[in-house]
Amino acid sequence: MAHAPMTPVSVPFIPRSTTTTESNKTGSWRFLQPRYDEKTAPCSVACPAGEDIARVEMLVAQGLFKEAWETILQENPFPGVCGRVCFHPCESVCNRGAFDEPIAIHTLERFVADTAMRYGLQPERTRPTPQSQRVAVVGAGPSGLAAAYFLARLGYGCDVFEGRSEPGGLLRWGIPPYRLPVPVLHWELEHLRTLGVDIRCNHKITTDVLHALKDRYAAVFLGCGHYKNVALGIPGEDLPGVEEGLPFLEKVRSGDWPSLSGTVAVIGGGNTAVDVSRCAVRLGAKVLMIYRRRRQDMPAFGHEIQMALDEGVELMELWAPQTITPHPEGFRLTLQKMEVVSEVNGRAQVRPIAGETTELVVQKIFKALGNSAEEPWLEPPGEAGSHILHLANTVVERRENSAVIVYGGDLAAQSKSVAHAIGSGKEAAMALDLYFRKGWDAIPDGVARCRVGPGPSLSMEVYMGGERCRRNPHVVAFQEINTDYFLYGPRIVQPRLLVEERLQGFSEIDLKVSAALAIREAERCFNCGVCNQCDNCWLYCPDIAVCRDATPQGRHINLDYCKGCGVCVVECPRNAMSLVENESGVLP
Amino acid sequence: MRKVVEGSHAVSEAVRLCRVQVISAYPITPQTHIVELLSEFCSEGSLKAKFLRVESEHSAMAALIGAASAGVRTFTATSSQGLALMHELLHWASGARLPIVMAEVNRALAPGWNIWTDQTDSLAQRDTGWIQLYCEDAQEALDTTIQAFRLAETVFLPVMVVLDAFFLSHTYEPVDIPEQADVDRFLPPFKPAFRLDTAHPAAFNQLSPPNVYMEMRRDLQDAMEAATGELKKIEADFQSFFGRRYGAVEAVQCDDADIILVTSGTITSTCRLVVEKLRAQGEKVGLLKMRLFRPFPREEIKQWVLRARKLAVVDRNFSFGASGIFAQEIRAALCNEPKRPLVFGYVAGLGGRDVTTDILEEIYWATKTKPYPESDSLWVGLQQPAPAA
Repeated sequence: MAHAPMTPVSVPFIPRSTTTTESNKTGSWRFLQPRYDEKTAPCSVACPAGEDIARVEMLVAQGLFKEAWETILQENPFPGVCGRVCFHPCESVCNRGAFDEPIAIHTLERFVADTAMRYGLQPERTRPTPQSQRVAVVGAGPSGLAAAYFLARLGYGCDVFEGRSEPGGLLRWGIPPYRLPVPVLHWELEHLRTLGVDIRCNHKITTDVLHALKDRYAAVFLGCGHYKNVALGIPGEDLPGVEEGLPFLEKVRSGDWPSLSGTVAVIGGGNTAVDVSRCAVRLGAKVLMIYRRRRQDMPAFGHEIQMALDEGVELMELWAPQTITPHPEGFRLTLQKMEVVSEVNGRAQVRPIAGETTELVVQKIFKALGNSAEEPWLEPPGEAGSHILHLANTVVERRENSAVIVYGGDLAAQSKSVAHAIGSGKEAAMALDLYFRKGWDAIPDGVARCRVGPGPSLSMEVYMGGERCRRNPHVVAFQEINTDYFLYGPRIVQPRLLVEERLQGFSEIDLKVSAALAIREAERCFNCGVCNQCDNCWLYCPDIAVCRDATPQGRHINLDYCKGCGVCVVECPRNAMSLVENESGVLP
Repeated sequence: MRKVVEGSHAVSEAVRLCRVQVISAYPITPQTHIVELLSEFCSEGSLKAKFLRVESEHSAMAALIGAASAGVRTFTATSSQGLALMHELLHWASGARLPIVMAEVNRALAPGWNIWTDQTDSLAQRDTGWIQLYCEDAQEALDTTIQAFRLAETVFLPVMVVLDAFFLSHTYEPVDIPEQADVDRFLPPFKPAFRLDTAHPAAFNQLSPPNVYMEMRRDLQDAMEAATGELKKIEADFQSFFGRRYGAVEAVQCDDADIILVTSGTITSTCRLVVEKLRAQGEKVGLLKMRLFRPFPREEIKQWVLRARKLAVVDRNFSFGASGIFAQEIRAALCNEPKRPLVFGYVAGLGGRDVTTDILEEIYWATKTKPYPESDSLWVGLQQPAPAA
């Protein structure tokens, strides 16, 4: 075929098109499809209050402190308290721990709460539909206050009855000021009041009062806590001057600081024993903390024990008190040496070593062995039945023609911590709302639906149908993080008073961190499973099939063009996407 | 301005005079001096070009394809393994009709590891759609580089300016460096036929099904064929500015020659002496210097060789399983001529081995004394037995 060559070469013949390539629907090649699939971070599962920590840290990293605070408030009315006193089980499961060091979640929670307090922020929330039922809450400790808070947010009127002169329970009367200054508690209680929660102090509960409440309210939440001291069961424990731990802490908390001198023995290994010891040191005593097992068996939080030792408290392990007798200088305390026989679940089982005893002369003795409910009728029923439900941190009981009773807080929780008490109050609020609106049988499934990951922590945001409902319960593992996108970086060091400064008085030990440090720390967070809008998916998609939009997710996949290559999923640093098979029956 | 410069630097000077806008290269001996000096020009500001440092020759060419698509003048330089690594993108550059200019310093391919001159690297790229011009000396390297931009931008094809390693690249010679103003007049700014322009979006080099592909290929071939004529015009213009021209081929005493020696690169200079000597002895010998290899200058060759009885083609390269590549191409060009010279193929100087006047004389006498070629390629100067055997 003849072909006339073009001379001169003016316009080369190359593949070039000014029409779009949109007619080539590459989505027809797809057999896998990516999906925005936010998942569950391990920290939020470990948090007894079920806080959405991965999202909180994302917001802190973006400088959105108010939004971070509001995100915590979805699940916990007391970030200022928990940012100070929580034992932060979140940090020990932090995926970042497998990379370099866990995120300082505890420090950041306090930072967020303090920032809100500094600026006097008010959370933005929608007004709930008022419900007809009213609930009585007995005990203004963390569980009762949490129950009232969550019930109020669900639209229920709540009256809180407190026996003491001020609300707060152990937060007000049990935790020393060097761990939790009273103004922080007061500020967070104020928020409860703005929600319409009525707290009536100096209302001591009795069986008669309880009966009256059952008549007047649709439900009663019992969160009276464990105040009754467990007896030592040894001769001399009732001698005058042998005091109980909690009343001593209450005295310190009320500002009445007794002067102590000489040697003080504190018997016990729980948080109360540690707090009593540390208060006694501050009041001028030399403190011996006596515990019948080993340090690692103590129920007290490890970091609190360490700080007590730093402050000069002496720990005597494997010694059990035998007798207390009067002595001209105070008391003679006879101790029996114990030995470890075996370990059950990592905790030592001990027995006395025959003939091995020692005697101490001490000026004062505090008993802090643990506590139980003040009255037997406050104990929840043990057996589950058709009218009794045992949930993770509450026990719900219904009776014919009477109000529903929910036992919460220390009375029913798995573990005695503020965070567990808050989780208990939340669980109670959900259970009561389910009962009022859907009936008794709806409670177990309704509560289970709100589990964070496998539970037992619960999310009120999920219960109320918030964005968190979209989260897949799959808990993100370290191997699922694309660590190529993260740099090694040191964890923030919580600034503290020096030991010498601490011993001057009851000033708060943990100091503030700057916003700059908080942001840097929050930027270390992997935000496991939570999209932080990094746009890697958008950047890497070879088909421009990631489209930004105004949905809460901020983007969607245009399946007309997505080939299902999975690059977006692999390059998501935080496992907030998944690759799944094309929906069955749906041809691309 | 006349200056003594290294062959490599003659190319660098030409690139500066051509006001290249984007340079991207990866260092490799014996090319490195070219881009080394260019990087200095860029850093001192005497050449206002973007110098892209890249991690490989493949990336260097890829970067230039992008830059040239955006409508700017581009340059790179490489050798041997570096050129081999670029291979895929050489096809792309020509298919996309991008007038990229590359200095290619001939170096032997490994193994055995060898940095010395050998044309197999560039000749192995003969089917990639690049124009190839082989240079004899530093002046020609400078002049050819300037011409290359004009030729490339006229026919929209990339051009390879080829230099012998060390004999040319690392040898200092007096070179006439043109005035910038003259070069500016000879070589106007590049006017692309198309360019990437976000204001006028278009897809480039997308899927081209069978119903258009063949025509595109033919268009490329048309451009190649036009290049020979365009080079002639460009050289005429170049001569009017600078007083020098080289031609697609250069014939030395071919008018009445019985035997014509055919060479390329720096061997040509040596061969000029041999022809002079043999002529003095009364031999009817000529010399044909091959400068343009792609497009292959069939007609220009025929114009000079059809009268001769024999051609002695000296190849510093080899196509395994066939023969020296220049000989092969010349045979193909002549095969349909009813009266044509016999083509004697000689392979010499591989891997930088010297091709001396003695060797070229030996080639001449061998050609003269043998009635017919005994094989497609006679390897000259092979040691018997081989040194390591």
